[in-house]
Amino acid sequence: MQTPILDVRGVGKAFPGVRALAKLDMAVARGEVVAFVGENGAGKSTLLKILSGDYFLDEGEVILDGANVAHVSPLAARQAGFRLVRQEPEIVPDITVAENIFIGEYLTRVRRIDFPAMRKEARAMLERYGFAGLIDVNADGRSLSPAQKHIVEIMRALKPGVKVIAFDEPTSSLTAQETERLFDLIRRLRADGIGIIYVSHRLHEVMEISDRIVVLRDGRLVSTLITAKTSDIEIIRLMVGRDLEAGYRRQETTRENVVLEVEGLNSRWHKDISLSVRGGEILGLAGLVGAGRTELAKVIFGELPHLSGNVRLNGKDLHIKSPTDAIKAGIGFAPEDRKGEGLILVRSVLENASLAVFSRLAKWGVLRKPQMLNEVAPYIRRLEIKTPSLDQDVGKLSGGNQQKVVLARWLAAKPQVLILDEPTRAVDVGAKAEIYRLIDQLASQGMAIVVISSEMPELLALADRIMVMHAGRLSPPIEKADATEENILNYALGTAL
Amino acid sequence: MSRITRFVGAENLSLIIALVLLVALLVSQSPFFFASRNILNIGQNMAVVGLIAVGMTLVIVSAGLDISVGSIAGCASVAVAIMVTDYHSIAGGIVVGILLGAVLGLVNAAIINVLRVNPVVATLATLSAFRGLAFLIAPDGKPIGVLDETFGLLGSGRWFVYDNFAGVPIAFIILIVVAVIGHFVLSSTVFGRSIYTMGGNPAAARLAGINLNRMRYYIYAISGALAGLAGIIVTARTSSGQPASGTQGLELEAITSVFLGGAILAGGKGTIFGTMLAVTLLATLSNGMNLLGIPTFYQLVAKGILLVVAVAIGQWRMARAERLQAAAAAKGKDAA
Repeated sequence: MQTPILDVRGVGKAFPGVRALAKLDMAVARGEVVAFVGENGAGKSTLLKILSGDYFLDEGEVILDGANVAHVSPLAARQAGFRLVRQEPEIVPDITVAENIFIGEYLTRVRRIDFPAMRKEARAMLERYGFAGLIDVNADGRSLSPAQKHIVEIMRALKPGVKVIAFDEPTSSLTAQETERLFDLIRRLRADGIGIIYVSHRLHEVMEISDRIVVLRDGRLVSTLITAKTSDIEIIRLMVGRDLEAGYRRQETTRENVVLEVEGLNSRWHKDISLSVRGGEILGLAGLVGAGRTELAKVIFGELPHLSGNVRLNGKDLHIKSPTDAIKAGIGFAPEDRKGEGLILVRSVLENASLAVFSRLAKWGVLRKPQMLNEVAPYIRRLEIKTPSLDQDVGKLSGGNQQKVVLARWLAAKPQVLILDEPTRAVDVGAKAEIYRLIDQLASQGMAIVVISSEMPELLALADRIMVMHAGRLSPPIEKADATEENILNYALGTAL
Repeated sequence: MSRITRFVGAENLSLIIALVLLVALLVSQSPFFFASRNILNIGQNMAVVGLIAVGMTLVIVSAGLDISVGSIAGCASVAVAIMVTDYHSIAGGIVVGILLGAVLGLVNAAIINVLRVNPVVATLATLSAFRGLAFLIAPDGKPIGVLDETFGLLGSGRWFVYDNFAGVPIAFIILIVVAVIGHFVLSSTVFGRSIYTMGGNPAAARLAGINLNRMRYYIYAISGALAGLAGIIVTARTSSGQPASGTQGLELEAITSVFLGGAILAGGKGTIFGTMLAVTLLATLSNGMNLLGIPTFYQLVAKGILLVVAVAIGQWRMARAERLQAAAAAKGKDAA
């Protein structure tokens, strides 16, 4: 093998009380895509943050194109040619896409910021890298969808001088179509001789795009695999250190009476939406990001307004004007953006899980701690939420455990209808199967469940029926037996409507 | 030690240590400090700021701010003076003073809720407007002398007086009662926990079914009512209804106490217990500076510095918590 563009030698990093990385060796060659896989906490993020200069390493060397770049600042790491596409990009809400792309390195002309040149260059970059038409360079950062924010973040990384680029969970907010564009881009970067690091929980993507796979577990390199010579079963076994069923299959359930019924719903985002979910049934809601799925959940939940149409629960018309009304009626909603909309990061696990049932746990307005412990804590245990204590701040838990806290909240609330928006976003493989089993159990107890997801295998595994949203309209329901990735995609892209 | 830490909270422990050190310093510097009369004076002086700080804790935990409290106290002071002198009704005066405070608090909440004005700006505006209102309701804008002795007890009266014990100030007892109720409400009721929720993450609070606007009306009304009560005590102590003197600058002291007591500007954190410890610390500090003959101007500078220190400590705690969080996210210990 030629001299690698990035060579990591014996890197170690410890945090108080824990070894995050132990003497790690790995290399990325020019024009090679190396995937990092491992469960949450395996050390992937730590390694990326050492490379990007966010963390200092305790020991070892990082050689980037012949130069030692251990112990450099984030700016120096960037100038040396390492670029990180972050999982949750920081987008400034009040400036345009073009300015966001050039932030920190504004184009100037006679010492003044040259806005027209930046717009032009931003447009040219989007065009060049295959994302033309997806974003308006004059749009405010605030107006961007998570997927568009990600594209802006990718553009930031692709400024001149890039030698190694690392993608941290790049597809968690992208749709299948956008993911394809990203893969085209990665293939082009590979052809240009750039070293690429690809971090993802989604194994099928890793199998598709990478040349080699580095498996991490508990801060150690477990194995380096040639992608063409391995299988996802083998990877999962190495990741978790045990065999795991590769795919999850939902048990057959009996469908009861219709619980939730939406008829002729119109809103700013939707045209003529009708759907129904029976007790014990899981309805999957597929579609591209921006098609209006999250908005539909929020309209039903009373967080966003609707113009006309009926929402019925057990045959009775509901007049929901706010989430308070929805919760009272028996509808639960676990939002996609758990840090932004789901959790109170500075409050405890128990308090976060009890949120939706405060009034039920209280007598004369006084919360009763024993009731809290009796009614809520069992769900925290059942979900196997890994927390030192019930009083731990939720912000200190890992992503998968945070998601479980949101789920625990709705388990405790026992709604008749539960809407889950991307329930396993950024959750690792082991926790995912756990969450699927839970959703499954809830359905078998008679709850009507709507799962919104961008991950097709997830929908195919979980849902009894799947409806696909495209530009604010819903496809007819597809029964589980007839659902395939292809026909869902057809509807999602609007080619079948 | 660890059991004590758990009982009072790590943040409060440092306040208690600071208080003990301060007391030790003052005892060594002034023979008057430990006299029971002086200690009880501190208790009496605490009452006014303390009452406002209880309401301010609710406001700040909900991620709001109320800088109009001093002006509200001024309005209540004038109103209670008019009731007591012109209508000879102490009970009526107290009710009117507290209700007026609550109504002015509702005005604050309405500006924030309906007009969507940021709480700092909204209450900065009413800081000025309510002070003007206090001068408007006072005849000719002048202080009103209140000579009713029974009413005066609210300010300087004492209970449990024995031969060599100066008695506990009634104002201090009122503060303790209010603080205990406030602590119970904030820590143990649905209303109180909802304040933490809305302060910690308003979007999540709304999606969890909490009506943020309604909460804000309650919170600012409580803050206003307690400011009104504080204004009544000021009137009783100074024997005069004062539109401005005696109530100016109370907001600064109350806000400083709340931040020093462990709350953060972003909301979602803070306790009445912590606030009360901080109020005690500040009252002791200012009493000590008086005993040591430090001029008022220096005391003002010291108060300003304390506010910055209090917020800086909060920021430092948050930064540390975030570092720990990042470390937790990176390590394998809590991986699912």
